[in-house]
Amino acid sequence: MIGFLHPWVLAGLAAAAVPILLHLLARREPPTVVFPAVRYLVTTTREHQRRLKLQHWLLLLVRTLLIAAVVIAAAGPTVPMRGLPGHVPSALVLIVDNSPSSGAVVGGTPQVKRLVAAAKQVLDRATPEDALWLVTADGIPRRGDRGLLGELLDSLKISPRRLELGNAITLAGEVLATERRAGEIVLLTDLQASALSPAQPAAPLLVGRPEVEAPGNTGIGAIETGAQPWSAEGGRVAITLVGDSGNAVPVSAHLGTRPARQALGRVDGTVNLIIPGSPSGWWTLTAELDPDELRLDDLRVAAVRVAPVARVRWDSTSRYVAAASEVLAANRRIVRGPDVTVGRLGGGTSVVQPPADPAEVGALNRALAARGVGWSYGNLSMETGFSDSGSVVGRQRVLRRYQLQSTGSGRTGVLAMVNGSPWIVRGGNVVLLGSRLDPSWTDLPVSAGFMPFMDVLLNRLARGEVALDHGAPGDPVTLPDLVTEVRQGERVWGVEGGGIFQPGETGVYYLLAGHDTVGAISVNSDPRESRLARASDAQARQLWKGARVLPLPQTADLAFSSTSRGDLRGPLLWMALLVGMVEVGMASGWRRRP
Amino acid sequence: MYRPDPSPGRARLDLLDPMEVSKLGGLEIITEGVVEGFLSGLHRSPRRGFSAEFAEHRMYQPGDDLRYVDWKILGRNDWLYVKQFEEETNLRAVIVCDTSRSMAWTGSPDTVLPKMDYARRLIAALALVLIRQRDATGLITFDDDVRTVTPPRARLSHWRQLLGVLGSLEAGQGTAAEPALRRVIGQLRRRGLVVFVSDLLLDRTLALKALRFLRHRGHQVLVIHIMDPAEVALTGPNEARFEDPETHAAVVLRPRDWAGAYRDTVRAVVSEWRLACRRHGIAYHRATTDTPFGVVLREALSPPSRST
Repeated sequence: MIGFLHPWVLAGLAAAAVPILLHLLARREPPTVVFPAVRYLVTTTREHQRRLKLQHWLLLLVRTLLIAAVVIAAAGPTVPMRGLPGHVPSALVLIVDNSPSSGAVVGGTPQVKRLVAAAKQVLDRATPEDALWLVTADGIPRRGDRGLLGELLDSLKISPRRLELGNAITLAGEVLATERRAGEIVLLTDLQASALSPAQPAAPLLVGRPEVEAPGNTGIGAIETGAQPWSAEGGRVAITLVGDSGNAVPVSAHLGTRPARQALGRVDGTVNLIIPGSPSGWWTLTAELDPDELRLDDLRVAAVRVAPVARVRWDSTSRYVAAASEVLAANRRIVRGPDVTVGRLGGGTSVVQPPADPAEVGALNRALAARGVGWSYGNLSMETGFSDSGSVVGRQRVLRRYQLQSTGSGRTGVLAMVNGSPWIVRGGNVVLLGSRLDPSWTDLPVSAGFMPFMDVLLNRLARGEVALDHGAPGDPVTLPDLVTEVRQGERVWGVEGGGIFQPGETGVYYLLAGHDTVGAISVNSDPRESRLARASDAQARQLWKGARVLPLPQTADLAFSSTSRGDLRGPLLWMALLVGMVEVGMASGWRRRP
Repeated sequence: MYRPDPSPGRARLDLLDPMEVSKLGGLEIITEGVVEGFLSGLHRSPRRGFSAEFAEHRMYQPGDDLRYVDWKILGRNDWLYVKQFEEETNLRAVIVCDTSRSMAWTGSPDTVLPKMDYARRLIAALALVLIRQRDATGLITFDDDVRTVTPPRARLSHWRQLLGVLGSLEAGQGTAAEPALRRVIGQLRRRGLVVFVSDLLLDRTLALKALRFLRHRGHQVLVIHIMDPAEVALTGPNEARFEDPETHAAVVLRPRDWAGAYRDTVRAVVSEWRLACRRHGIAYHRATTDTPFGVVLREALSPPSRST
């Protein structure tokens, strides 16, 4: 597409209308001259009129062309022309894929180093007039000159965050949309097949990928720690291996600094390990593989809570609660004891369901108030609703429920909601259920999730432990209402319950409510990063229309080539000169002899 | 007897610029001066006027035919005289003058005479030359119709009558030469001379037909084509609407663009007239209005073989 260095000069194109205007104005009412020999003129013009009219129009065209050529030349026209050494001032977004997969070592060199070297070569071709941005796996476009971006590249490390290439290209297009200069996107990536996603490049896209093939790799994709808390006897861990290597690899797992357990595993297989018992508390379970070309996925962590199972006293009159408690007791997830009372308000930790007789609600509310619980039962609602699909209960139909009313300030302690209203809340050491655990109130007791719900309710929620979550670096995590602080090792973040937290690094993040640890987030790299297999150039070109995919060493040579533009001023001025000579020749020649 | 003014150094009016000549006096005086200059400059006497019957003597002038020198007077008095003879049958000539509106036009009023004024003076001079040769000379004027008819006479007083007619000429409207030329037949019973003075901006076919008819009747026919210099070379403003004063036909053009082609057209028109006239034994002379009268007279009265 043609561009102009000084587009405002194009306003001068109006001058191209001057010959036409002069032509039209000159045609208006010429003076009358009495001339007897008009018959000679008639004879003369009859023979030459058509040719002269054509000559006039040609002359008009030539003059208009002359002015237009001069004006356009003054505007500095340029056209895309590859293969030229220089380029006009351009905007360039440089995407360097430093996602975990770029940490793979090939031929003794991490891929990311190759990407950084190619990126610096691209920057070397930039001029001070260029607008430059650098986008890495953190997804933040950073603008700077060649020097600044060079320093950023020097300090660039492998990010634990995954980089969706399609998203990065779209982001680059949005960045370029703010710039009036001709733009180009240069994507330097290991072209990991699992990172490819469709995108419509908003500017010419140049993709540089390593020449060497990606190595086979095995990584830990997931750790399943089973139902928690673990008892003092320990627990079972299922470790899933991912990647694209066929070799069996040893997998080890250990809780804290305690001795590890090992087993052999293969890609796409699961390794089950029994982890011996540990003292009560929060533990970090670490699963490891022997080092291979990609180190980042050779280690994965998970938070494990070790505690004695809850000692529960349940009401046998409540059929479904009693049945569930019997099953949990039979499986050693709870034992009979006085610590937790289920079904009614007891003296200590209690899980309270509303009374079947509405007349008893008032007495219950008074008892709750006397215990200092900041919640009470309100009106009975017969409106059918659904619980939110959170980790506590999932999505369940609710037919009847009491509205739970907070008697204190705020709404802290909400564990589950129905139609936007609190349905399960916690106040002090009391958990209030908005509906009775009965099919006439809610589908929960007859659903598959009822037993896990009762396990979580008795072993964690009743104890004030609300969340065990996991995610990848950069993924937003909604914090439970109670949380006031997030801690990872020595690092502490003050947070607000219900807010969003974005862990930036891998590791276990503990959620604190005051001094109590109420949950944990296990953050590990995306398991898709373990599959290093590279996409083909054709696949990339198919997903990103118009993209040029090249080996890394050639990328720098073609960077800015889409904005390499031929300067048309010279040819236009030559053309203007030629047209001017033609005009002079035509005008003088025809004047001598029409 | 005609006696030329022998005073040396006097300007010959026949060779001066017509515009300058016209400023020197009235039609009669100017014409006499022109004719005197013309006659004094001739190397040969006109082809008519020296007939068999002696009429009178006059002083020899260089160019006179030595056959007519009176040797007796030379031997007696050592004077060089030539004898002049009275024609037994005088020539009868009719001058047909175009007085249409186009004849009243000049491209440069300050420097060039209108075609009609030029023709007026040229006809007066021509008539004086003829009458002095004792040739009866008549005049017919026309525009879109015949305006005046003056029968041929050979007296000098008749010339003054012709001057009166010429002096009172006014530009008419259109141009219709054929009726005027046909009226000549009534004026010339015998073979005679017809001089057609016009800018020839007329219907060429009809005019040629009439001239050819006269030629067939045995008359000598002479066409004097009067043109203004501005009609020969097209000039004017950057762009102009050129309008015919007679037909009011108009053409809009740029003179500078058309000058060359126009010049070619005029050449072609003149050439066509000349060829057509030659083909029928008609003498044709083109005269621009800045040409001295003497030049035109000399050409017009020279033998047909020398006409241009």
